Amino acid sequence: MMPAGFFSWLWDRMNVFATVFLGIFIEAVPYLLLGTLASGLVEVFLDRSQMSKWISRRPVASAVGGALMGLIFPVCECGVVPLTRRLFNKGLPLPAGIAFLLAAPVLNPIVVLSTAAAFGWGNMLFWRMGISMLIAVTVGIVFSTEQDPANILRPILTHDHDHDHTLETGASFSEKVRQALLITADEFFEMGRYLIIGAMLAAGLQTFIAQSSLLAIGSGPVLSVLVMLGLAVLLSICSTVDAFVALGFTGAFSFGSVLSFLVFGPMVDIKSIIMYLQVFKRRPVVYLAAIPFMMSLLAGVLFNYFQP
Amino acid sequence: MDKRLYRSLQALLLLGMCIFLASKAANGQLTYYINQRFIPLTILGIISLAALAQTMFTEIKRSRRLAEEDEHDHGHAPASANLWFMLVPILIGVLIPARPLDSSSFTTKGFNTNAPLVSADSSAQLFETASQERNVLDWIKLFNYESDPSKFTGEQASVIGFVYFDEQLGENQFFVSRFVVSCCAADGFAVAIAGEWEQASTLEKDSWVLVKGSMQSITLNDQVVPLIKADSVQVIPMPEQPYLFP
Repeated sequence: MMPAGFFSWLWDRMNVFATVFLGIFIEAVPYLLLGTLASGLVEVFLDRSQMSKWISRRPVASAVGGALMGLIFPVCECGVVPLTRRLFNKGLPLPAGIAFLLAAPVLNPIVVLSTAAAFGWGNMLFWRMGISMLIAVTVGIVFSTEQDPANILRPILTHDHDHDHTLETGASFSEKVRQALLITADEFFEMGRYLIIGAMLAAGLQTFIAQSSLLAIGSGPVLSVLVMLGLAVLLSICSTVDAFVALGFTGAFSFGSVLSFLVFGPMVDIKSIIMYLQVFKRRPVVYLAAIPFMMSLLAGVLFNYFQP
Repeated sequence: MDKRLYRSLQALLLLGMCIFLASKAANGQLTYYINQRFIPLTILGIISLAALAQTMFTEIKRSRRLAEEDEHDHGHAPASANLWFMLVPILIGVLIPARPLDSSSFTTKGFNTNAPLVSADSSAQLFETASQERNVLDWIKLFNYESDPSKFTGEQASVIGFVYFDEQLGENQFFVSRFVVSCCAADGFAVAIAGEWEQASTLEKDSWVLVKGSMQSITLNDQVVPLIKADSVQVIPMPEQPYLFP
């Protein structure tokens, strides 16, 4: 027989899990809807020929352009994944798409404002944007060595299966909107599935792993950055508000460590990795997580050593 | 799976999700999960879900009409597993009674008696707030901001929070705690200030209380943190917004 204490413990754990899980999910739903709607509209209203006119084929210019696209498409990390996949499908070059995927959750007007609200128009905002841009462009350039997007991307399932979605030229506006909404719904389910899995993992970790055990790892110039990077993955907070959460760590952690949290969190956390795996093959996801990790770590450690 | 069946299930699930979120919004439970300033976004999400469900229902009618016109098979649907996952949040929300974060999450999330939370200038504004109107978080910010917290000694305090007992504290002492949520429950962390009351042992863990008394201080982990010497401790129902929003 299990002791009664075990059941009350389990019940408490389940309640914490349910509250944290629903917190992440309910918070993310509007952003996911926004991202999938953008994706549906791009599919229907954007021509492949227009795309190649706008975005340069040269790797560096293309990556920089992609990183700045977030200023036009204000999406956070839940919405950016379906939108990026759709843009790839429209012929967006790999470096631009990768840079967009990593930079858009930070380099967008909403996040600029929320970071400024938390930290003021100063160093933290400037370096957060600058280093995020640098990492996104670097990873974009790394991916430019791959010529064929098919080696990196999984095929889109919701695209070709259904001749409902292919539009004859000259379809009426309302017909186009109808198609865009159908794609939105399909993608909401497809991406929602991975959001739900990711939110369950994040909530499970928060339910069973003590944050204090992470904080106890250390406070040295390197360890403290590692702790903040781990926390960014563990918390899986939306980039639109993570600055307010980071503020809570400014007392216990140095500028460099908090900065690394703000740079790395929007690019890589549990739910975004799960969603990346749906769009990219496995190896590219390793690069997408590992390069930002190492660069954020390096940036955080450098700041810890050289900033007073 | 047949395309039309797939669309029907999508429509029902979109509607289900819409009703689920709308009911959470209607009974005020959204603030158990997210910061209140995101509620307008959630409302927008509810409306969008309703619009998408409507699109699906129209689509089903349309495909029925098309099917009568020609016998052509309208393609097969994407993996149906995608659909069932949407049931997970609804089931969790319906089967597990809604309960905001409380002291049972302290084992993993911990709690803070001293947390530098908001930039200095907004802490400075707190000096102008009447002492009885400051909440748990305000007091902690003030103690953190002011190098000489003894200047608050004797000020009248009136705070609400839930009760938590901890071995750091002495006899007749307890913590009054609140969760602070910036975005959603995932980033929630607890703040707590100490209270001292003769009948503290009659209080129940996690019960909500209104503590009135005079502000003193206590040293915990080498830091001077607030302690309310309570004149009265009144058990109250859980407030409509259980969390504080920084």
